Amino acid sequence: MILAALILILSTAMFFFYFQVSCQKILRRQFDREYFQSIVNANRLEFPSLRKSLEEFGAPVDYPRLRMMLKCDFLALTYLLKNAANVNQRYSSEERLLILYFRWQFLSLAVRRLLKVGEKKAVLRLTSVLQYFANVVGQRVNTVRFGNLTAADYLLNL
Amino acid sequence: MDSGIVSYGFQYGAYLIQVGLIILVARSSHRNRLVGVLLYLSCLLATGLGRTYALRMYGLASRQYSYVYWTTDFLLVISAFLLVCLFFRRACLQQEKMWRFVRLLLTFICVLVVSISGLLFSHHYGNLLAGFIVEFSQNLYFTCLVLNTLLYLLLQQIDSVDDQLGLLVCGVGIQFAGPAATFALVHLTANEGFAQSLNSLVNRFCTLGMILVWAYAIVHVKEKATQVTRRQIPVLAEVAAHLNIQV
Repeated sequence: MILAALILILSTAMFFFYFQVSCQKILRRQFDREYFQSIVNANRLEFPSLRKSLEEFGAPVDYPRLRMMLKCDFLALTYLLKNAANVNQRYSSEERLLILYFRWQFLSLAVRRLLKVGEKKAVLRLTSVLQYFANVVGQRVNTVRFGNLTAADYLLNL
Repeated sequence: MDSGIVSYGFQYGAYLIQVGLIILVARSSHRNRLVGVLLYLSCLLATGLGRTYALRMYGLASRQYSYVYWTTDFLLVISAFLLVCLFFRRACLQQEKMWRFVRLLLTFICVLVVSISGLLFSHHYGNLLAGFIVEFSQNLYFTCLVLNTLLYLLLQQIDSVDDQLGLLVCGVGIQFAGPAATFALVHLTANEGFAQSLNSLVNRFCTLGMILVWAYAIVHVKEKATQVTRRQIPVLAEVAAHLNIQV
């Protein structure tokens, strides 16, 4: 009985640990430039300002508004991921995993809020997922816009 | 939503991605490095299809289905152990001394699990399926989870640059940890219906999770591995310049 309980606790902890590490490893992917900025500007997304205020000032934010901002950005970005410059019109494997990770972190934010521990950390994780999504969308849009054209070809076609 | 429908959705989704991944790995130029992945995915797919076929043909309560189920479970757990061994080999590729030690350790663990299972089986002598195979599978399964965690720690310790291996190990962790937790829950709740259905759902969910992580690792992270090998060229050029040799 004790052994089974121990295995249950350890295995559950390991499951969440591996899930978190896998998602963090995916989020560490380096893009050749910051594609997310143009997507943020075009769609008036709010996560960069939210992250900046948390990182630089540690400013306390209104919780219901914060949830709303994150949720709206998430919905906009997942829609773009599926529909903007995506020939297959479906999510890739890592996108599905990160969507799940975002939902889990969103739930964990509510729990952390109740317990008043590590709220900032959860928000930063959520914004890093959103930034990854924005980077992916930006990269796709950039690829479609320029195709195989070189800079000179593009300018000649203008 | 009915948990049965979700469970089947996970199962068939996983089959499709497994087939895609097997084809991708088999056709890839890196297949020698991914032989363990290929082996495990093939076993997983064969197991799933074999069990589905046996279930449709003979029914859940039949003896034939029971034979198929436990035989495939045995094969699956053996392939899982082989997979972890192959990952250890890949992690210790540059460190022969460490590999010699790890090889000994893995052999010792395998013999230990067989012995303990045999000892426990001797108390239920006469029923091979419900005795030895069940005991052996459960023991080896949890051992694989512990070994996988040791491998993860080893990769951190040696500062491995093999990002693909890191992700593959994380995928295996998801695959082993979820079912291990639900098996323990089933044991604790004395085979309650809820725990059984949760077990089936978590098994499929974790398999799908592992396959998604592996798909990302195989499709996207191999480029980085190529970049690592490419970086050796300037080093060679630098050495040649130092020795005044034209490369």
